[in-house]
Amino acid sequence: MEEQAARARHQQELEELAAAAIRGLVGDARLHYRARRLHQASRALPVLAPHAQADVDETSLAAFRGAADAMAMRLLHSDWATHQRIRPDTPIARLIVDLLEQVRADAAAPESFTGLRRNLKERFEAWSTRAHNQGLTESESGMLLYTVAQICWSRVTGEPVLEATDGLLEIPRALVAPRLGPHLAGLRRERRNQAAYGVHARAIGQIVEEMIEDYAAAHKEDGAKPEVDTNSIFFNMRFDFALNQAEGFGAADTGKEHRAGNELPAYRVFTRAYDREVAAASLARASQLAQLREQLDQRIAAQSVNVPRLARELKLLLAHPATDGWDGAQEEGLIDGRTLSQLISSPAERRLFRTEHQAPKADCVVTFLLDCSGSMQRHVESLAMLIDVLARALEMAEVSTEILGFTTGAWNGGRALRDWKRAGRPAHPGRLNEACHLIFKNADTSWRRARASVAALLKSDLFREGIDGEAVEWACARLRARTEARRILFVISDGSPMDSASYAVNDPQFLDQHLREVVAREEAQREIEIHGVGVGLDLSPYYQRSQILDLDAPPGNRVFHEWMRLLVRRR
Amino acid sequence: MTTTSLQQPERMVAVRDVFGIDSDLRVPAFAESDEHVPEIDPVYRFNHDVTLALLAGFARNRRVLLQGLHGTGKSTHIEQVAARLNWPCVRVNLDAHISRLDLVGKDAVVLSEGKQVTRFQEGIVPWALQRPMALVFDEYDAGRPDVMFVIQRLLERDGKFTLMDQSRVITPHPGFRLFATANTVGLGNLNGLYHGVQRLNHAQIDRWNIVATLNYLPRAEEIAIVQARVPVVLSGSPNDPADRKLIEAMVSVAEMTRKGFAVGDLSTLMSPRTVMTWAENCEIFHDVALAFRLSYLNKCDEAERATVAEYFQRCFDLELAESAASPPL
Repeated sequence: MEEQAARARHQQELEELAAAAIRGLVGDARLHYRARRLHQASRALPVLAPHAQADVDETSLAAFRGAADAMAMRLLHSDWATHQRIRPDTPIARLIVDLLEQVRADAAAPESFTGLRRNLKERFEAWSTRAHNQGLTESESGMLLYTVAQICWSRVTGEPVLEATDGLLEIPRALVAPRLGPHLAGLRRERRNQAAYGVHARAIGQIVEEMIEDYAAAHKEDGAKPEVDTNSIFFNMRFDFALNQAEGFGAADTGKEHRAGNELPAYRVFTRAYDREVAAASLARASQLAQLREQLDQRIAAQSVNVPRLARELKLLLAHPATDGWDGAQEEGLIDGRTLSQLISSPAERRLFRTEHQAPKADCVVTFLLDCSGSMQRHVESLAMLIDVLARALEMAEVSTEILGFTTGAWNGGRALRDWKRAGRPAHPGRLNEACHLIFKNADTSWRRARASVAALLKSDLFREGIDGEAVEWACARLRARTEARRILFVISDGSPMDSASYAVNDPQFLDQHLREVVAREEAQREIEIHGVGVGLDLSPYYQRSQILDLDAPPGNRVFHEWMRLLVRRR
Repeated sequence: MTTTSLQQPERMVAVRDVFGIDSDLRVPAFAESDEHVPEIDPVYRFNHDVTLALLAGFARNRRVLLQGLHGTGKSTHIEQVAARLNWPCVRVNLDAHISRLDLVGKDAVVLSEGKQVTRFQEGIVPWALQRPMALVFDEYDAGRPDVMFVIQRLLERDGKFTLMDQSRVITPHPGFRLFATANTVGLGNLNGLYHGVQRLNHAQIDRWNIVATLNYLPRAEEIAIVQARVPVVLSGSPNDPADRKLIEAMVSVAEMTRKGFAVGDLSTLMSPRTVMTWAENCEIFHDVALAFRLSYLNKCDEAERATVAEYFQRCFDLELAESAASPPL
């Protein structure tokens, strides 16, 4: 489990670098990885060839680099509309045409980018080796696909084929070469002209498709089980073509079994009669809060965090120089009228001027929105410690902070479910629980005053279920009411929205979809920077900016620095 | 008054010959050079649009404001045009501490026949006004807007200049020209790059007849400029094809940093000047990666260096120490 989380974090770091390289090449700020796929804003981009995407379990930098460069080259050198006109409808022909278009884009990499060209070459070779090792070349049709991929790649890019399988290719090459010959020459010739290249690519796709059908027919006559199972070939290629095709390359990849085809009904709430917004301090007795606070303080003391240093670093991150009043008694600058009498009484005095005072000022507000669903209870002690220290440091840096939480008023729907049953169980009731929004500290309360209230985080009976979408909406509305120029929201969560009653009576994607919609809407408005902080979990399916938090890190400032890295990313 | 103040441009020169750009325009030029004429840089490459804008300024007495990101060679461009026309040229660096007195002139105590006397000393503006002189205000947007009103009337073509301290009105010399360069168009520091620039008064911006923009150049042009300026990079012989390849890769890195800046991944970008410094440092250190570190990478925020290392790997196929591929330091 721990190893898996560490791997996910490593992959995320590599993905960040890969995305930055793509943005540096293409110059489009909207490109980023989300749930392991390249997205443009909230749209998942099609992946034309298996080597343009790093495998799920991949952790090598080279693979991420190669995949990123392949995507960048395709975005730069291939026109999607033209490609769509060229693409055939049959699956195998389409597979070939897509692959060839990616190869064409790879070949268009400029000479001066030597490293990029090497990344692409190595990535293609790595994919080839892997496909070979995983048995793609064992079946007759798999071998054909592999051969076509290899010789086309070699022809178009002018690189030699992979040495390890060169010998293997001899027989199938002799088989296909006479049929593909003229088109292969055409590919090479027209590699700078997408439409003309497409004609040859289509022809090759057609030929390969026919050959594979012939194999299948031959096997049928033999009475044997048909060997061709395109799905298994795709599977061997470790590449989710089914996804591309089902979604028509449009909708976001949800990471779950959701197809854009069946449109979900708009988000609804069955009743808001029982929704509450409560000050967390009112949920516990003062003596209990004092006790919890002491527990929290002990935990913080054990962490040995250097809060003033943290505050200084945060200030450097968030503050900008601003003019703030005047510095008097300067030796140069503008004459300060108040000192003129001094000039008469003491003519030798030279410090008569004043200059504008420049001071770093952070015009910024930060909200921590904590998922208080049941599963978060395990982590809450560490999180409360983190958030408390960050809030204190941010306050020292003159940044206002809010600490909010969301949970539900009851398990399994509570009174909302009861009302729904009484109303005769109408279909599609929408959200069916008592949403409960908690305020641990609002932006106008100082940390010192909110100390006891923050400790209420440790109160275990708060934690029930979570309706994330509405909570993010609520936190954003609160932020929007603030006057600060920069508004930052951290949503700290360990999973998808979860509310059993709402799940039972609605589409299972109902709450997920709402969260995605809310976040996409807020991100598009660009007023508020939303960061998803996943506790041992990748939140990138929901949030454009996300980070996996490692709560088991050793004590000290490291975990805070990771947090600050989120703020450094300016996008 | 010196003799130059009586001079008029007496020669017409063909733009195509002198500046190497495609235009049939002919512009007036001085026959002889004097001490204020900048030196000609024989390898300087002129940007078509900007050169035409500046020539309109010289030939037709237009006030030209040249705006562009840093390190694109705005001031040099004006100087080189002036140099080719033998037009005297003075650059004044503005900053927030330049006052009206500095520009207009002030009473100063001077020694005259062994005695201390107070005498009015002309500032740079009246001095330049009275001779054929291209006055260039560098970092125009760093000047305080209230002070910059001093030149308000000069921005009109026949605007006279009143020296209030002396009750004197100066009519500008027919050869007087006024130019300015700025990083912003007077709207303040919007992208976070230019701290200390002022928001300018738009009644004044409006008076500039021509506002030309010199931003980063097309790739081929930038390569040619770097190559012309730094003929020997690593190979040891001028204009070696290996050097050309190297410069192409350098410009590719620079272009990636500019895109990275535009999309918000980086907060520092490589200007053409940085590329040139890099090339020059290559010659000194004989190591592309080290020169890159010294000329650019060390200016970057630590958190952004891994990204820059990725850019570098793409173009040079070399790993920097900051790269995710290198073992942790």
